[in-house]
Amino acid sequence: MTAPTHDPLTLSLSVNGETHEIRVPARKLLSDVLREDLALTGTHVGCEHGVCGACTILIDGRPARACLTFAAQMEGHEVTTVEAMGRPDALSVLQQALHEEHGLQCGFCTPGIVVTFEHYLRENPDPTAEEVRDVLSGNLCRCTGYQNIVAAVLKAAARMRGEAA
Amino acid sequence: MTGDFTEIGRALPRKEDRRLVSGRGRYLDDLAFPGALHVSFVRSPHAHARILGIDSAEASEMPGVVGVFTGRDLDQMTTRLRLAPPIEGLQPTEMTTLPIDKVRFHGDPVVCVVATDRYLAEDAAECVTVDYEQLPAVTSIAEALAPDAALVDDSLSSNLVSHQSLNVGDPAARRAEAHRVVEARFALHRHTHVPLETRGCVADWDEGRAHLNMHIGNQVPHPLRSQLAARLGLSESQVTVISPDVGGAFGQKIALYREELTVAALSRHLRRPVRWREDRMENLMAAAHAREYECRTRASVSETGRILGLELEIDEDFGGYCFYPANYMARVIALIMTGPYRIQDYAYEVRVALTNKCGAGPMRAPMAITSWVMEGTIDAIARELELDPVELRRINALGPEDLPYKMPTGEILEDVSPRETLEIAVEAIDVAAFRERQEKALAEGRFLGLGLCTVIESTTYGSEFYKAAGIPGSGHESAWVRIEPSGAVNASVGLMGTGQGYESPLSQAVAEGLGVRSEDVTVHMGNTDIAPYGMGSRGGRGATAGGGTLYLCALKARERVLAIAASMLDLNDAGGLRMRAGQIERMIGDDWQETGLALPDVARRAYLDPLALPEGIAPGLDFSHSYDPPAMTYSNSTHACEVEVDPQTGAISIDRYLVAEDAGTVLNPIVVRGQQQGAIAMGLSGALLEQVVYDGTGQNLSATLADYLVASPNELPEFEILHHHTPNRRTPAGIKGMAEGGVMGAIGVIANAVSDALAPRGVTIERLPLTPQSIRALLRETAPSSTKRTQP
Repeated sequence: MTAPTHDPLTLSLSVNGETHEIRVPARKLLSDVLREDLALTGTHVGCEHGVCGACTILIDGRPARACLTFAAQMEGHEVTTVEAMGRPDALSVLQQALHEEHGLQCGFCTPGIVVTFEHYLRENPDPTAEEVRDVLSGNLCRCTGYQNIVAAVLKAAARMRGEAA
Repeated sequence: MTGDFTEIGRALPRKEDRRLVSGRGRYLDDLAFPGALHVSFVRSPHAHARILGIDSAEASEMPGVVGVFTGRDLDQMTTRLRLAPPIEGLQPTEMTTLPIDKVRFHGDPVVCVVATDRYLAEDAAECVTVDYEQLPAVTSIAEALAPDAALVDDSLSSNLVSHQSLNVGDPAARRAEAHRVVEARFALHRHTHVPLETRGCVADWDEGRAHLNMHIGNQVPHPLRSQLAARLGLSESQVTVISPDVGGAFGQKIALYREELTVAALSRHLRRPVRWREDRMENLMAAAHAREYECRTRASVSETGRILGLELEIDEDFGGYCFYPANYMARVIALIMTGPYRIQDYAYEVRVALTNKCGAGPMRAPMAITSWVMEGTIDAIARELELDPVELRRINALGPEDLPYKMPTGEILEDVSPRETLEIAVEAIDVAAFRERQEKALAEGRFLGLGLCTVIESTTYGSEFYKAAGIPGSGHESAWVRIEPSGAVNASVGLMGTGQGYESPLSQAVAEGLGVRSEDVTVHMGNTDIAPYGMGSRGGRGATAGGGTLYLCALKARERVLAIAASMLDLNDAGGLRMRAGQIERMIGDDWQETGLALPDVARRAYLDPLALPEGIAPGLDFSHSYDPPAMTYSNSTHACEVEVDPQTGAISIDRYLVAEDAGTVLNPIVVRGQQQGAIAMGLSGALLEQVVYDGTGQNLSATLADYLVASPNELPEFEILHHHTPNRRTPAGIKGMAEGGVMGAIGVIANAVSDALAPRGVTIERLPLTPQSIRALLRETAPSSTKRTQP
């Protein structure tokens, strides 16, 4: 076995529809590359072992943990982060509902929750509260007690279906 | 809602949300510092060991490594932390920035590696070799207090670092005359805070100005700056503490920790920005722990269940180091224990022990165990005397006729409503209907339980409290309000939010006092160059101390604005004037009418045409104010919950949870509801799942989130919140604190509910957490002799 090399690799990384040519060590986590090399700091690092969900991003449209993924694995894949989902002056329907329902406090877990449910509501546009709780169990929140997050997701789902809520 | 307010009490969504929901918040690790170095700490693998030698030669040669520093190096760059407040029964302690001679817990930071990159720093840290001689580890209170115990802190005479007692009235006489003396035991386990954002800091030493900018998520920026400056030998003018958005703290981000001081010292030493981001394992092992208590009560009661006297013993496991005076948290528990009940004969004994575990600190509701102990004692009395637990509470609870009530410890309760919240909760949960359901279920072999827990929550410690407790320090808060020449309103206060959502409610306090709309006020926090010196956020003081001070400061500003407006309107005085939504209005007849004058007109006059100002009024509109709250402010609540316990699996399901809460005047009901829900969730999570686990040798077995379990939405119910508002007559606008009581109530109510459910099996909960394993163990220990309920 040879000693590990930390020489950088050249990668072509497609994030939020934009392609970046970057040089990073093969062992560098996707979460760190997004945050440090691409300045997309909305993807938060909460535990680095895949439990808390704060670093959730989409890989080819499916939720994944950026802290359990090497950036080098992403060649040929499309990564989507919270930055693609809404801006402070133009929130997504889900983000607006989280704001209205007080579905966040410190906000550190929130981008992971936004990413999770932007995807989930496309797959299941009419979820029950129980289903929302089940999916939300992949994202730890230490501040809210979750009740308002569930309410916000249900509200967003209703709005996306075109119902008044 | 109480009071005649226009801005206070509005349900305004939070101002900080837009940046946070869109991923544009700026937390510590989001800030870029070109050329910054990264540190990684080498931590002790042993609970208790002598450091014989440190070999960093290999690490120093590794790629990117700038330096490797030990406790001896740091001792040259910093002063030691000495804690020696003149408190009877408290041993003075002193600690170095990093350990020099021995380590005191598994995870103790021993060596700091500095490199150009975090990955390289971690590589090098793995190559540092520390030679240890293992010492016997002290891992429990009993071991710590045994006569032949190894000393955790070699400079102390024993591991009993703090010991206080009190005897008021004549509890021994009450015991002698009592119908029955009921004893009960309560053991709360070790918790940790688990903010989603771990600790971290960026120290940026400016060599030219000889100035340190310390970027750090912290609840108390000013006290932190004072301590940082002192320990680096700098003046407070040479240090700025800057807190960006903070991803939760819950009491963990108050103290100046050794890692942070190390990073600051090394930034100055290396003349470079130096940064540290704690990883989750470090956070769970070494950030700060909390809550490990064993309590015993002895209640002397009459035949009808009147509590005649109460005796309390508290033992606390404080861990290996004192970041706070060791009496600090346990003593508050003892001071407020009798809480909602009429008890005058009271004795306590509080013992705090050092052990070879992570040091303890305050965690949201440092007095969390209080309500469980008191309410668990009430339930123990009910069980033993076969009385109705609701009726027992009724005959002991403080009612309006008892107030103000001086507790035996001298603490004064006023403007609280424990009997009222009890009645609201009891009615809402419908105890009689529940008891019927419970009987029926039991006949089917199902175990339902109902818990009640009334909370008296101490919030907002004023200076008078600290003085009485012998602790140097202050409970005051400071604020400024500045109306700019355009009429824009800026304000600041010494608090620092760590997720509570201060921006809207504090804007509302300013807006109410001044007479503008909350949307037009900006509150700036978290930078010690901008904010006035205040005591920060802890102990539920954000609303009363922070909001209250801002409100008073804004009243001062309004007075000046109206005086200038009066002169602009050619009036003799401001008597018939007010400002609403930034418009100056005048009382004509019985009506408030517009004058056509608005805040920007007054501001322009104040700044740009000062010669036109009335005599005696100085140019500008810049105000500051400081305010010291009452010794202690109290709020109260009653929690009620229904559970079902599955005796086969030990699983607990919460079928209903409600709380009747008296939080006085509420600045912003949305934010308050969020705090109530979050506090209950933290209490339930702690009572059901969380547990820092050490083995008998002091190894931490719960240093990942797969081992230290935090509640997911599947374990938590919907919380019903019933409001009752009794304003505090001694605080500005009647504000009380309220963000910690939910933790107290949740711990007590869930324990009591499970005890109620398992009463037919002869099980009483004396120890948390209530994991399925622990419930099953209790059921195994008590043979199922009867399924008949003895309680009404």
